[in-house]
Amino acid sequence: MALADELFREFRSMSVSEFFRKNAAMLGYTGRIRSLTTIVHEGVTNAIDAGEECGKLPNVYIRIENLGDGGRYRITIEDNASGIPEKYIPEVFGKMLAGSKAHRNMQSRGQQGLGISGAVLFCQTSSGKPVRVISSTGEKGIIAEVMIDVEKNKGKVSKKEEFDPKGWMGTRVEMEAKGVSYNRSKYGAFNYLRLTSLANPHVQIELIEPDGTKVLFERVTEELPKPPKEVKPHPYGITADDLLRLAREKGGERKSLKTILVKELSRFSDKRVRELKEKMALILLSRKLETQIEDLDKYLSEIQDEEEKRRIKKIYSGFLSQAAKILRKEARYLNWEEADLIVNAFSRMKLLAPPTEGLSPIGEENISRTMKAVLNPEFVACVTRPPKTYRGGIPFQVEVGIAYGGQVDEEGIEVFRFANRTPLLFDRGGCAITEAVKSIDWKRYGIDPNKDKVALLVNIVSVHIPYTSTGKQAIADVPEISKEIRLAVMEVARKLMRYVKRKKREMEKEAKMKALLKYVPEVAKAMSRLTGASEEEIETELSELISKKYLSSEDFSEEEREEAIKKEEKVILISNGGGLDEGSRKEAETTRE
Amino acid sequence: MKVAEKRLRQLGNRMLQELKRGNSPYIEIPVRALGNVYFDSERRLLQLGEKSGRRYFLNLAHAKKFMQTLLVASYCLELIQKGKHASLRDVYYALKRNLPNSKEVTFQDQSESNPVIEDLEVSLNLLREELHISADRKGYLIGNIVLRERVVDETFEIDASQLGTGGWGIPSNVEEIEFLDIQADYVLVIETGAMFERLAEERFWKKNNCLMVATKGQPSRGTRRLIHRLYYEANLPVYVFTDGDPYGWYIYSVIKQGSINLAYLSEKLGTPDAKFLGVTMSDVDKYNLHGQVHKLKEGDIKRAKELKDYPWFKNEEWQREINLMLEKKIRIEQQAFSSKSLEYVAEVYLPEKIEKEDFLP
Ligand SMILES: Nc1ncnc2c1ncn2[C@@H]1O[C@H](COP(=O)(O)OP(=O)(O)O)[C@@H](O)[C@H]1O
Ligand SMILES: [Mg+2]
Repeated sequence: MALADELFREFRSMSVSEFFRKNAAMLGYTGRIRSLTTIVHEGVTNAIDAGEECGKLPNVYIRIENLGDGGRYRITIEDNASGIPEKYIPEVFGKMLAGSKAHRNMQSRGQQGLGISGAVLFCQTSSGKPVRVISSTGEKGIIAEVMIDVEKNKGKVSKKEEFDPKGWMGTRVEMEAKGVSYNRSKYGAFNYLRLTSLANPHVQIELIEPDGTKVLFERVTEELPKPPKEVKPHPYGITADDLLRLAREKGGERKSLKTILVKELSRFSDKRVRELKEKMALILLSRKLETQIEDLDKYLSEIQDEEEKRRIKKIYSGFLSQAAKILRKEARYLNWEEADLIVNAFSRMKLLAPPTEGLSPIGEENISRTMKAVLNPEFVACVTRPPKTYRGGIPFQVEVGIAYGGQVDEEGIEVFRFANRTPLLFDRGGCAITEAVKSIDWKRYGIDPNKDKVALLVNIVSVHIPYTSTGKQAIADVPEISKEIRLAVMEVARKLMRYVKRKKREMEKEAKMKALLKYVPEVAKAMSRLTGASEEEIETELSELISKKYLSSEDFSEEEREEAIKKEEKVILISNGGGLDEGSRKEAETTRE
Repeated sequence: MKVAEKRLRQLGNRMLQELKRGNSPYIEIPVRALGNVYFDSERRLLQLGEKSGRRYFLNLAHAKKFMQTLLVASYCLELIQKGKHASLRDVYYALKRNLPNSKEVTFQDQSESNPVIEDLEVSLNLLREELHISADRKGYLIGNIVLRERVVDETFEIDASQLGTGGWGIPSNVEEIEFLDIQADYVLVIETGAMFERLAEERFWKKNNCLMVATKGQPSRGTRRLIHRLYYEANLPVYVFTDGDPYGWYIYSVIKQGSINLAYLSEKLGTPDAKFLGVTMSDVDKYNLHGQVHKLKEGDIKRAKELKDYPWFKNEEWQREINLMLEKKIRIEQQAFSSKSLEYVAEVYLPEKIEKEDFLP
């Protein structure tokens, strides 16, 4: 027996479920508190996604029971959405990576189809119990117990029962986990739900804590968020891997690659196919000649030798037909090298930026409303930035709310991070949001970053949120996104500054008025003695004089100050390196077309 | 109605008018600082310039002082109406109180009320004595003079020749002192109390038919006003006798031309025709007092240099004297003559000087 055969006897391919059973931490199952929070998170995001999708204002009910026995907990999450059809139940709860609608390239909380099945996996490995799913699509109700067959990565339904839902619609998921814990700390499920409510003013959340306490996070708007639209992927945002998958998934029925590209990508029309071919050929030529050629005509014009010129032209036209052949071939036979070549060629083309109207931010008014309701601050300002793209092709949008004073808990600047309205509680240090906020010079805005009570809500919405890891708790430092966060924070900081300044001025005015008013009685008495006029009358007139002076005067220098600050901000942005502007420059070019 | 009362009422009415028009009441006060003082060479007096400032009630930086000025003004009116006089300290105590609903007081200490009184004087062009505010008695008068002093509603006659060696303490308000009878040829103004007593014991005034005034250092306003009145009303020449040092010479300067701080009163307080009798630097040689001199200190030298620049000292005689002082770096006291004998000043020095009219201008 060859040595290799012996060595490889132990080799076994590992299923996704098996992989994640061994690497539960990658999905956020580390630590007792965090593990429970992650379970709640998976259930609640699905519940809200499902509600929004079927156009219903989501009501989410969460019950957490302590079953004793060394951290054994039952977590129940119920929604009022559409329910899950019977045949999909094993898929959704029992198969990892398979059952998801996340491939649709639209903004949603879930992204990988790893969520709820991950929770089921964690529960069954820690407590040995299956997940109990009670779901109704309206006419028919199903009660099922599901476990994951880890080796096969498949859902196994152990008990199944029908029941009459009597009009009830929705899904109730009951999970049992061991080695977890509940509390009201920053990282606990309570805070997670509080923050979820903060970013989802249209959602009603009811929580029953282990000790029976009932907490209601109320809905503050009856308005459902505008449903996000499915957006086709943009050539700039796609990787070779994405392209391969797309070609395989959509490539049935002998469709040519060209047809798939034109149909499935945004901003790429028939008219651009020729250009794509040329770019592909140019890349191949560059490789062959081991030199970087940007412009063929220019390159040729610099060559004196006519013979050599002809030779290169010939090679080029060869590559051109090779490119044409690739595009003509059946999409499902696309290989990685060809996909890589196409993605490369895309990046050399000038294309319109992708449409961004598919995104669904919280909106300035709603942020303001919810921050007021949840934090009870003295002042709130919000901004929803216009949509932008990163990596040239992935739409995203940043919104920031700032709350100041009042009952905002902590001194200093507290940052509530959200991605597609989902709170990010962990990995604060490695998150682009934290970094962007840290880079703001708060003193410039008249805010003391250590003493003033400031809460910041930063929500990033995107079809594809660039997380730093599968734990999905930190946003990667993508220059275009970081820049937008900074701009948004600066904008609300400016609004806050205006408020703080005005307040300070009002206080100063008041202090001045008071200072003057205290001299009134003595002055009136003396004036009355000197003139014989009524002391009372003089007193009234002096007081009126004072209020007239202080209640009418307006100060116009404020706007000028703000202008000055805006200028400074520009300087910071520029001095912070060209990297930041790379994205927007590209975008400017592409939209000019 | 007295002038003072009338002006106080005018002040009040003007402010009331402003208030009725919806404007902030204010008080106009001429600036009392070096930059607003000049020497009028024709009248030979220090005069106040044209610069004046307005103290507004509505200006937070002025408001407190505005109130303080009004408090003093209304208190003065009260004094005048009652015919009573109050000292600077009385004024401070009478007006010091807590502001309603505040920890702030109207006047923190007397250093706040004194300048406000001066402000009011300049503003109304009145002496504080006319406002019935008095300062401590400081100077003394002795000689053949009979005066009438009014005390509230009584009058007293004072014969300054019948007061032994002490003399009559000059009140701060000499405005209403009447000169009933004067038998004298001149007024001798003496810087130190000790010299005054020495001469009084020698009955110098009787033997030389003069009036003697002691300033006891820098003369009070009452003393300066009395000297002024004796010169202008009784036509008595004024001779000033001080220590031979920059401080003594400055006393002479103040009597003669007025001071910077009270420049607005120069016309009432200054006696430009006063003459300087001594002690001069030349006297040191003339009377052989070389053994009695003291060395000048740094401050003295600085002061002497300042004196040299005063317009009224810009004459040959004074320049020579000051130069001599700066050259020799010495000073000499009035009492240095006692080295010769106790009586020397009274019997030799003063008569000789007056006889020869050996004065500086
Ligand atoms: N409560 C629910 N109601 C309706 N559909 C659900 C519910 N929970 C999960 N699903 C469906 O199951 C899919 C898989 O969910 P999940 O494993 O959490 O992955 P993800 O949320 O990343 O898509 C979702 O995309 C959704 O279509
Ligand atoms: Mg999910």
